[in-house]
Amino acid sequence: MIGRLLPALLAAAAAGAHVGSPDVFHEGSAGPYRLLVVIRPPAVIPGVAEVEIRAAAEGVREVRIVPLPASGEGAKFAPAPDVALRSKEDPQFFRGSLWMMEAGSWQVRITLEGEQGRGQMAVPVPALAVRPAVMQKTLGAVLFGLMLVLAGGLASIAGASVREAQLEPGSEPGRERVKRARKVTLGTAAVVALALYLGYQWWGAEAGEYQRHLYKPLELRASLEAGGKLVLRIENPRWLGRRVDDLAADHGHLMHLFLVRMQEMDALWHLHPEQSGPGVFRQPLPAVPAGRYKIFADVVHRDGLPETMTGEIELGAVAGAPLSGDDSGGSAPWSQAITWAESSLPLVAHRVHWFRFRVQDEQGRPAEDLELYMGMPGHAVFLKRDASVFAHVHPSGSAPMAAVQLLAAADPHAGHAAQLPPEVSFPYGFPSPGDYRIFVQLKRRGRVETAAFDARVE
Amino acid sequence: MARAAALPWYLWCCVLAVTSSMAGVHWDISWHRSIGRDTFWSPPHLAIYLGAVLAGVSCACLIFSTTFDRRAPLRECAVRIWGFRGPLGAFIAAWGGIAMLTSAPFDDWWHNAYGLDVKILSPPHTVLAAGMIAVEAGSLILILGQMNRAAGEMRERLERMFLYVAGMMVVGLMALLLEYTYRVLLHTGRTYRVIATVIPLVLAGVSRASGRRWPATTVAGVYTAFLVALVWILPRFAAEPKLGPVYYQVKQFVPNGFPILLLAPALALDLLWRRTPDWNRWALAAVSGAVFVAVLVTAQWPFADFLMSPGARNWVFGAHYFDYDTRPDSYIARSLFYPLETPAQLRFELALAVAAATLSARAGLGWGEWMRRIRR
Repeated sequence: MIGRLLPALLAAAAAGAHVGSPDVFHEGSAGPYRLLVVIRPPAVIPGVAEVEIRAAAEGVREVRIVPLPASGEGAKFAPAPDVALRSKEDPQFFRGSLWMMEAGSWQVRITLEGEQGRGQMAVPVPALAVRPAVMQKTLGAVLFGLMLVLAGGLASIAGASVREAQLEPGSEPGRERVKRARKVTLGTAAVVALALYLGYQWWGAEAGEYQRHLYKPLELRASLEAGGKLVLRIENPRWLGRRVDDLAADHGHLMHLFLVRMQEMDALWHLHPEQSGPGVFRQPLPAVPAGRYKIFADVVHRDGLPETMTGEIELGAVAGAPLSGDDSGGSAPWSQAITWAESSLPLVAHRVHWFRFRVQDEQGRPAEDLELYMGMPGHAVFLKRDASVFAHVHPSGSAPMAAVQLLAAADPHAGHAAQLPPEVSFPYGFPSPGDYRIFVQLKRRGRVETAAFDARVE
Repeated sequence: MARAAALPWYLWCCVLAVTSSMAGVHWDISWHRSIGRDTFWSPPHLAIYLGAVLAGVSCACLIFSTTFDRRAPLRECAVRIWGFRGPLGAFIAAWGGIAMLTSAPFDDWWHNAYGLDVKILSPPHTVLAAGMIAVEAGSLILILGQMNRAAGEMRERLERMFLYVAGMMVVGLMALLLEYTYRVLLHTGRTYRVIATVIPLVLAGVSRASGRRWPATTVAGVYTAFLVALVWILPRFAAEPKLGPVYYQVKQFVPNGFPILLLAPALALDLLWRRTPDWNRWALAAVSGAVFVAVLVTAQWPFADFLMSPGARNWVFGAHYFDYDTRPDSYIARSLFYPLETPAQLRFELALAVAAATLSARAGLGWGEWMRRIRR
């Protein structure tokens, strides 16, 4: 149903929200209209974000999109919106591109006009410069050739200006003039070479300045304290005045921590460490089997900018404390009650898919006991086998709820309280081909169940 | 009475090329201040590159016809480069056209690699600027070659054309310095130093090469008229920001500020140079440098105070136009000068400005005398 969104122009290698998965997928309501929005942020800032919007129903006449900062003064004044272009093949599909001018937490505001009136929605987008500059060989060769022509031309023009430019018409230059012209040609060539060298240095300095603005993720140092307590210290590499004491609660927690045993990915814990000081978090570990664990820690800054920190820790077998609060997880064998519908469908990188999971009770009937888990019908983690891609996704998409709440006029959880159906769906698009593991967590009768599925992406 | 011979077509092409590029540059800067977003094919870019193509193609035609047609009128007044023949100015302007066109893919790559530029001076823009200045210098020299061989009414017409192109050169150079000459920087010594480094060279060079009575004043007048026209014309056209964040609601094109009062030092220099034709060049350059800085600061400093006052917030002076990204707490929004320099630093910068103006004027005097001897 929602599978024909066009591929991204170029996927960035890394991004702040999630890991290696910069695109934002968001499903929600714009007034009376239900939309699935995909935003592919630029890899350089300022740069162009690609926006793809699909309306669930017909009757949308016009879609307007506009980018603006998520908060602060800049969020008050929107520039003139752009009209998203309707697809000729699919009248419910619209696309457009928007300039993101500064790095940080942004939003794309979408306004619709249609048969059911007007609707509006805001989707949070982290705008981060992540791509180092590389020049294609052909372009480099063309520019180098032109540079040689221009440099040689300049030296020759200087020579000619001395040799002939001041001669009366019709006369020929004498030997002395020709000699002087040669000297001037060589001298100009030396000056041009020096200018090119200085230009090269300048280019290097500009590239260095750009490098300074390249996104530098928060770093995580993990250690184990006596009593089986995991200690996480956030280190903040200098990047655009970012702080670590401005974290916002997302689903009631400052940090959502995922521990995954590598390489098998046969154990996953979803924990919520408590902050014990600025940038320091502590978490009593549950009983975990020994092994090397990959750590993914999701946080959201108060301005809506999400970041995922990564780390590793080698753990011996930990006796551990029982899971409490919203903490969940476990190891294989996984829950058999959750099944992936349409698991045989081919998966293609850069294309948004709906991942549907059905839940059955002990008798094999559709389960009627699903509950909200931290305000959501479910949580999914998409993890590439080499751990280069990590995305924590909800049925509403990949934007963290704290960022969505910052922009939403109404509670985005509204409507979730009704009895939950036995099927949970997540919109997501893989950023690159390869083997992935998908973890799904659902809550039934107060207990969180975790299931794992393997996916091959072409 | 016989009708005076018409000015050659290639000179008009060069004049048009220079005007198109300069209008394009200012329009483009204004576009970025009011609309923000553009593409490679935006109208200001087309105006800039039209200048490149016009100069490049017309000068290439001139060079080819002079090279391959043995009866070409300019064959006897040509220089030879890489087997081609043509007036020196044609080669310089063609070089400028190629440089400008080279900057296009370079700039496009730059935007893709490092993002849309938010400043005027970047390596690809410098290639573009070098190309534009070369088109202007080439046009000047092309006119000069003709002018120095001409007499009577034809010479007068060529002299007027020469001063117009020189004025456009000042427009181009001042556009390059725009980031140093914003209103909030006009009580900063550095601003006067950068102007003093560049402008006396053109004024002195052109004055020496031209035989007219008020060459520097005319050149500064062209610059002033061009910028004042932009201040008055650009806001007549509607524009709205298409980039966020928008801190200031813009409804029309934002011009690039009232021109710097170069007319005052230019007038003073014309008066000085008229009385000192036989002075030693270094002595003349030293006095010219000091006069340039002293008169410019004396005129511009209080005028900057005026531009910050409510009296300048009208269509004549344009001090009430602000960029869409002007933050309400910025110096420009609060009509305050940047406190960049201590009084000691200011004095030091102004002393440097006099030294820079001296060297610039000395180089200009030499350049002007060289230009006066151009025949081809």
